Amino acid sequence: MSSIAPALPLPSQNSFRATLAKAGAIYRRDRRIATSYDMAFIIQWLQIVVQVLGFYYMSKLVPPHGHFPGFSYWVINLGFSRFQMTALQSFQTAIRGDQMLGTLECLLVTPTSLATVVMSPGLWGFTLTAMQVVLYMALGMLLGVDFSHTNFLTLFVFVVLTIACMSPLGVMAASTIMTFKQNAPTQFVAGSAAQLLGGVLFPVALLPVPLQWLSWCLPITHSLTGIRAAIGLLPGSNKLAAHGAALTDPAVAADAIWLVCASAVLLPLSLFIFNRAVNRARRDGTLGHY
Amino acid sequence: MIVVDNLRKSFPISYGIIPNIKYRGRIPRREILHGISFTVGRGELFGLLGPNGAGKTTLLKLLCTLTSPDAGTITVDGIDANKHPIAVKRRIGLCSSEERSFYFRLSARENLEFFGSLAGLSGDYLRKRIKHVAEVVDLTDALETKFSGFSSGMRQRLTMARAMLSDAPILYLDEPTRAVDPVHAEQIRTLIREELVDRQGKTVILATNLLDEAWALCDRLAIMRRGTIAALGPPKELDASYARLLKYQITVDKTDDALLQRVRAVPGVTTVVAVDVPGGVNVEVEIEPTNERSVTELMRAVSDNGVVVRSFTFDEPRPMEVFTDITQAGGGDE
Repeated sequence: MSSIAPALPLPSQNSFRATLAKAGAIYRRDRRIATSYDMAFIIQWLQIVVQVLGFYYMSKLVPPHGHFPGFSYWVINLGFSRFQMTALQSFQTAIRGDQMLGTLECLLVTPTSLATVVMSPGLWGFTLTAMQVVLYMALGMLLGVDFSHTNFLTLFVFVVLTIACMSPLGVMAASTIMTFKQNAPTQFVAGSAAQLLGGVLFPVALLPVPLQWLSWCLPITHSLTGIRAAIGLLPGSNKLAAHGAALTDPAVAADAIWLVCASAVLLPLSLFIFNRAVNRARRDGTLGHY
Repeated sequence: MIVVDNLRKSFPISYGIIPNIKYRGRIPRREILHGISFTVGRGELFGLLGPNGAGKTTLLKLLCTLTSPDAGTITVDGIDANKHPIAVKRRIGLCSSEERSFYFRLSARENLEFFGSLAGLSGDYLRKRIKHVAEVVDLTDALETKFSGFSSGMRQRLTMARAMLSDAPILYLDEPTRAVDPVHAEQIRTLIREELVDRQGKTVILATNLLDEAWALCDRLAIMRRGTIAALGPPKELDASYARLLKYQITVDKTDDALLQRVRAVPGVTTVVAVDVPGGVNVEVEIEPTNERSVTELMRAVSDNGVVVRSFTFDEPRPMEVFTDITQAGGGDE
């Protein structure tokens, strides 16, 4: 019982810089773990090559006609819809992994906010996805897709809005992992809904009117519509406009506003739900359960 | 200073969707801790003991804010742990008994870098701390080894290193020498007592199942039984208060039936055994610690009739006896 040991310095812990440093640590952890599984890491890139080639030859068999989209449509949608899958998967995968490794409690015993703990695993996921989308686009270009008309500002804004709007759904999925200790049904629902209703494989215009309304309610619909417009793909066709749409284009602006509003509602809501899920796990003593 | 006041904690009797439906969202709960109160002073090494299921781990998790109490409060240096968990987490380091609590694909250094960063350390200071704690637990040569290649003992030592990494003033150590080889275990005990507590003045709560370790290291011990603190105090006081029988060994030059009868007649004496030893007789006596005049009476009974008393020694109760007496009073563990 000798001298009094000092506590860690308090002020810096709350600063934005400290939060960034912690997010950076989580990013480095995820990158190191992902690349340590070298075969799986390489195979996921090869899968993209195989997928793009598959759709390329499919488009050769059935050339675009009427509402049937062509290769450009598929490459753009398949590439950029990966952001949705990443958003839905990365947060809950990280929480699930920490539960099963036994690291979750040790992570939560550090002075790190819950928002940092749950959101930061997206950093590596979205970085990897961005690189994979570049591969999609590069392969598309090699196989004849023209990106020369792309409005990169619009494209960038829609990618950011896609991440901002989809991530809360992933955080909600992580909340279900925290509560039910099993994979969230949200991933299945949102994943399937995107394929069927979000216009990933075929234009929404092909759907019956009631399903088109349902499609309008999905973030992926608006994000892919905006991204296709930014690249210059004309709605419901495989043809390119003279130039990619600017954000001032009324149709594009409407999709952007939809995504901004949805993000503004979903982001705080998802963090609130995650906070509740963690508090419930703390109350029930199940933080470390899996 | 850590103040635990009337702490109560219960857990649901079952988990999952089906029990929730069965009990309409109100799954019955079983109380694990029943109003626990104690205070741990700054720079104190406080031991937490108890049989399995007594509530030690639950209590540690409450102290770490990993679980929230049903009632009662925990304050750390005046901060309410339930209301301000982040502020409390800045003051604590946890050495968990869960040896899997690292990333298997990362090296020891990468793991420490990660947890150190989350504790708010960075740059040169973090690197120096990693170097220091690795040296302290004798893992310098294994820093670049992946955690998956660590033995159980090395994992436990790395857990201890992580707890010390942020140089927090309060350490919660859950079985820090579990699975550690005897040499390193002794080094960890010395580290805890001499370096962390005596020299650096850290407050340590040590949960352990090793009674000798707790008795030797701790300033005070709390012995838990079925969610309550059954005994609390310095080891010596517990010995004196809870030993069922006091044991004395008296070596005399000779003995006879009359002497043994006089000893048996002393109030509180339960057992008398005489054993011949070179140069005399060893009389082993067990006395109930209820009558404070028993020892005086015993000395008088032995020394009557010209018997030469060569030695009169008190056998200190073994921790196991005290622990058993405390934890089995009023029935066994649940």
